[in-house]
Amino acid sequence: MSTNERHKMVELRDVVKYFGQLKALDKISLDVYDGEKVVIIGPSGSGKSTLLRSINKLEEINAGRIIVDGMDINDSETDINKVREEVGMVFQSFNVFPHKTVIGNLSLAQVVVRKRSKAEAKEISVELLKKVGILEKANEYPTKLSGGQQQRVAIARALAMQPKIMLFDEPTSALDPEMIGEVLDVMVTLAKEGMTMVVVSHEMGFAREVADRIIFMDEGRILEEASTEDFFANPTHERTKQFLSQIL
Amino acid sequence: MAEITDRAKDSEDSKQTTIDIGDGAAIPTKKDVGLFTAWRIAFFGAIAIIVYLTLTKPDPYREIVAFVPDGILVTFQVTVESILLALVIGLFTGLGRVSSNRIINGIASLYVEVIRGIPLLVQLFYIYYALGRLVHVPDITSAVIAMSICYGAYMGEIFRAGIQSISKGQMEAARSLGMTSSQTMYHVILPQAVKTILPPIGNEFVALLKDSSLVSILAVSDLLRRGREYAAWTFSYFETYTIIALIYLIITLFFSKLVSVMEEKISVNK
Repeated sequence: MSTNERHKMVELRDVVKYFGQLKALDKISLDVYDGEKVVIIGPSGSGKSTLLRSINKLEEINAGRIIVDGMDINDSETDINKVREEVGMVFQSFNVFPHKTVIGNLSLAQVVVRKRSKAEAKEISVELLKKVGILEKANEYPTKLSGGQQQRVAIARALAMQPKIMLFDEPTSALDPEMIGEVLDVMVTLAKEGMTMVVVSHEMGFAREVADRIIFMDEGRILEEASTEDFFANPTHERTKQFLSQIL
Repeated sequence: MAEITDRAKDSEDSKQTTIDIGDGAAIPTKKDVGLFTAWRIAFFGAIAIIVYLTLTKPDPYREIVAFVPDGILVTFQVTVESILLALVIGLFTGLGRVSSNRIINGIASLYVEVIRGIPLLVQLFYIYYALGRLVHVPDITSAVIAMSICYGAYMGEIFRAGIQSISKGQMEAARSLGMTSSQTMYHVILPQAVKTILPPIGNEFVALLKDSSLVSILAVSDLLRRGREYAAWTFSYFETYTIIALIYLIITLFFSKLVSVMEEKISVNK
């Protein structure tokens, strides 16, 4: 792979993370290239969320190296805020700002971090709200919105920073079944536009449709890593087969 | 939303976490019919008694009522100035208490522990005379400083609890967008924490109003001191302190009510 000229967006080398005695990440190495869509699956407690959260340093790792867009995020010289500007994150629990309107949610970091004028931020926000299909809620407060709508606000909020990569941490796990589709639709659109994405999810339909690669994690290790086709057609590892049979 | 105290459960629909710093007068809630009547009886009763006494026994009551209002103004001045300064001290103390910087955290925690471990009256004397050795400031200023340093510690705990009541996800979301920790605090955490913080700050205001009577020992002519001056001059101790007590009661009950109205408004807006 290193022979072609593709730019590495994220590079993890021998990443180790402990929670007390528990080894959450056990020497993980992983590359994500520009424009690639990687879906991480695995049983709960396998370390997949921890892996994702370590990419923008919401979790501090104990050993190894993480390079994001050429910046070593655990180097004390690196301004982590600069890295995070380029890395969009979507959470399971949405985490929209309840004290801001929808448009306020989208505009805040644009103004505070990207130093855009309020008008400019608003313009970009409106475009994004159109894209995720909730422009009519622009002036509502998030408490008035359904879970699916809140998550779409959260996605739009991250996109407003014009990130180079988007991380999704089980974005549909907290949603009622009838709202999962609307969020996945937004994510599919995003994928088709060429966004680099790392997604922790159990939505196998979504994985099949957009993922270039699937990673199966268990007990802090990557057990299996394959192109989407191969992964579903011939899973090699026994544990993977078992997991797939449960989830499919 | 995780922890909902009993008070919050009482006032329906209130998802807001409330912080109970049990001081101030018993503040009536709408549901609490008995207490509400108690508030009414006390408040209007106190006014009625003062009116009755001044009308039926002008000597000495009318004279007392005419003599002490200057003191009420001073009491208000001390209370308002102290609460404002205490809010500033409390904000920084609260931020210090949640800081991950060990030195800042240590200083803030030490301040809170030391202040809460010394009786207010002792602190007032101490700070008053300590200040007096260093700088020459008017009595009322040093009284305000002493009150604020004391109440700042309690305010700090309210700010800390308020900040910690905001879910960690809010901080993570803001930081993920590239905001610094201080931008996150200013734009995301504090605006949300204010709703949780306001009611206990209201209670502290009422408590401070009452405690401000302690400054009368520092040669500050507040309500109590005016009463003492009048009583020492006329020897009508009982009559004077009757009026003083009633005035404090009316003021305290009035502000308690104000705080509870404000509290209701906040939970409705939420």
